[in-house]
Amino acid sequence: MNRATLTLLALLLICALSLVAAQQRARKLFIAQERAQIEERRLNQDWLRLEYEQRNLSKSARIRDVARNQLRMSPISPERTLYLKEAK
Amino acid sequence: MRPVGFSTTPNLVLRLPMWRSRLMLFLLFFVFMMLLLRAFWIQGPGNAFYEAKGVRGTQRELELPASRGKILDRNGQVIATSLEAKSVIAYNDTVPDDLAADKVQKLASLLQMNESELRKKLKEERKQVFLKRQVEPAVAQQIKQLEIPGIGLNNEYRRFYPEGEAMAHVVGFTNVNDKGQEGMELSRESELAGHPGQRRVVVDRLGRVVEEMAILQLPQNGKDLNLSIDSKIQFLAYNAVKDAVEKHHAKAGGAVVLDTQTGEILALANYPSYNPNDRRYLTGEQLRNRVLTDTFEPGSTMKPLTIAIALEKGAVKPDTNMVIGAKYLVGPKPITDTHPYGNLTVAQIIQKSSNIGTAKIAMNNLSAEEMWDFYTAVGLGQVPKIGFPGAVAGTVHPFKKWMPTDQARIAFGYGISASLFQVARAYTVFARDGELVPLTIERSPDFKPGTRVLSAKTAIEMRTMLETVTEPGGTATKAQAEGFRVGGKTGTAHKLVGKGYGNKYRAYFAGLAPISAPRIVVAVMIDEPTGGSHYGGDVAAPVFSTIVSETLNTLNVLPDNKVKQMVLQDKSPEEIRTANVQTQQVVLKR
Repeated sequence: MNRATLTLLALLLICALSLVAAQQRARKLFIAQERAQIEERRLNQDWLRLEYEQRNLSKSARIRDVARNQLRMSPISPERTLYLKEAK
Repeated sequence: MRPVGFSTTPNLVLRLPMWRSRLMLFLLFFVFMMLLLRAFWIQGPGNAFYEAKGVRGTQRELELPASRGKILDRNGQVIATSLEAKSVIAYNDTVPDDLAADKVQKLASLLQMNESELRKKLKEERKQVFLKRQVEPAVAQQIKQLEIPGIGLNNEYRRFYPEGEAMAHVVGFTNVNDKGQEGMELSRESELAGHPGQRRVVVDRLGRVVEEMAILQLPQNGKDLNLSIDSKIQFLAYNAVKDAVEKHHAKAGGAVVLDTQTGEILALANYPSYNPNDRRYLTGEQLRNRVLTDTFEPGSTMKPLTIAIALEKGAVKPDTNMVIGAKYLVGPKPITDTHPYGNLTVAQIIQKSSNIGTAKIAMNNLSAEEMWDFYTAVGLGQVPKIGFPGAVAGTVHPFKKWMPTDQARIAFGYGISASLFQVARAYTVFARDGELVPLTIERSPDFKPGTRVLSAKTAIEMRTMLETVTEPGGTATKAQAEGFRVGGKTGTAHKLVGKGYGNKYRAYFAGLAPISAPRIVVAVMIDEPTGGSHYGGDVAAPVFSTIVSETLNTLNVLPDNKVKQMVLQDKSPEEIRTANVQTQQVVLKR
């Protein structure tokens, strides 16, 4: 075995090891990405759920109920409304 | 005895035939050759099977979920949304038979099921049994923590409808498989539905995804749908109809509100209704979208249409005087009015809703063809093109089949049928100075050009006449809305029961507001009012009034009628504004 062969062998070994390392890194990154995607989905769902809850709390039936019964408000009527026209 | 040498046993002297050892050699060679061939086969051409086996161990195809689109109202408020839920599945060959009793009990209580019912489901012959569908995520998490082998959770969606009953007929609902069944959910299924994708991944020993090989199909989320409905107006229209149905002990009711400028449907309410979030006790009666799917004889609400043709032709003018009388004989049965009138002008015929007057105008001045042409031009007898399932066309028989008695009765709304929606649409002609507006249920807030069917002059004359209906002396003073000039026409139609007219009625009111610059058309129908009056002017007109004043307030339309101000106003609006500006400046100076 001469020196050239030994150098090539060493190079081959280094390449093989770095391939393994790269593979490992790729998998780790992939898993991180997967996790982030799941998190994204979860947050999306949370957002939809909150949007739904907000809508549930702000729907006309509830507002009318709260305004009339808790806040003792009454509907507006034109005779008690002051209409301001925009100046032209 | 002669000694026998070690290497010279007598057995060895025995000579066997040569062929036996040859055969042995050949057999051995043959078996080895077979093994070798098999090895070659597995490595070479027969490889696919084993490769597939290997792939199955490490590769999986997974679904990429896609969600159904939301349905939003014109202001972007959610009226239907999909939230994640789980379905609980039992793989019955994996579930142990001797499952601990307390676990079964816990599972049953989480699923809100009977314990014996659950046990029966777990003993079913089928491999997979759905224990419950659309379970809330929090409950599903608790089920997972029970760690019962063979109980799995699958992702799915559940649809929620925050507006509930008020919006039920417009939006409709989906089934457990997230497919539209009614309303917009059904008619826009193809746009709303999401299409799940698929990807191939590599999994490790424990089934965790470690690498993505390929995306076989990209997931496609459903599109959001923006309706023209205003949930506030829808809510108040629904409540107005509901209150009237309850007050008059009626069978049902419906109302529709149209924006005359954009052709958008602002509200479409029906009562009785149902809660789309809980459909366990649903009946067909509740499901009916009466505004669109029920046809009826429009009765007096047809009179303005008939008289508009005569005005357009120049055959009569609003102040043309006519002899009415107590009876008008066309065909076997005389036409009568609720009160006998002597002479009426054309405007008064509308104001008092005279059957005889309308029939006389039609018989003396109009041909059957002219009437048919106009009714068809305003959309009667045709399915409204708004993409709603079950919308009906109503009937306008071909004019060639009309006998004189038919023509006289069709003139005031008997012998033809239409849905409330069609009547409302026809009235946009008066609101839009003679143009028929294309209607839409999707949000599109631009002014829409219409198709001209009447001259502006006729339409404006008709508006003035319709306003007199709601003024003292008209049939619908109860239609007046605070602060706004309104106009419209009452209708009270005898319902067809079997072959004749029974003692049941439908009360209508169709009208527009404000008269000075019409912004909305509202049509109201109350079916079979029983407590007291059954007239459109008494039953349907008050509903119209409520809907109009509240809708116009919601839309920020300025009143066009004189209002007695209750607000103490010692400053003019300009003064108030400058006063505000001054206070602001003071604040700034400090």
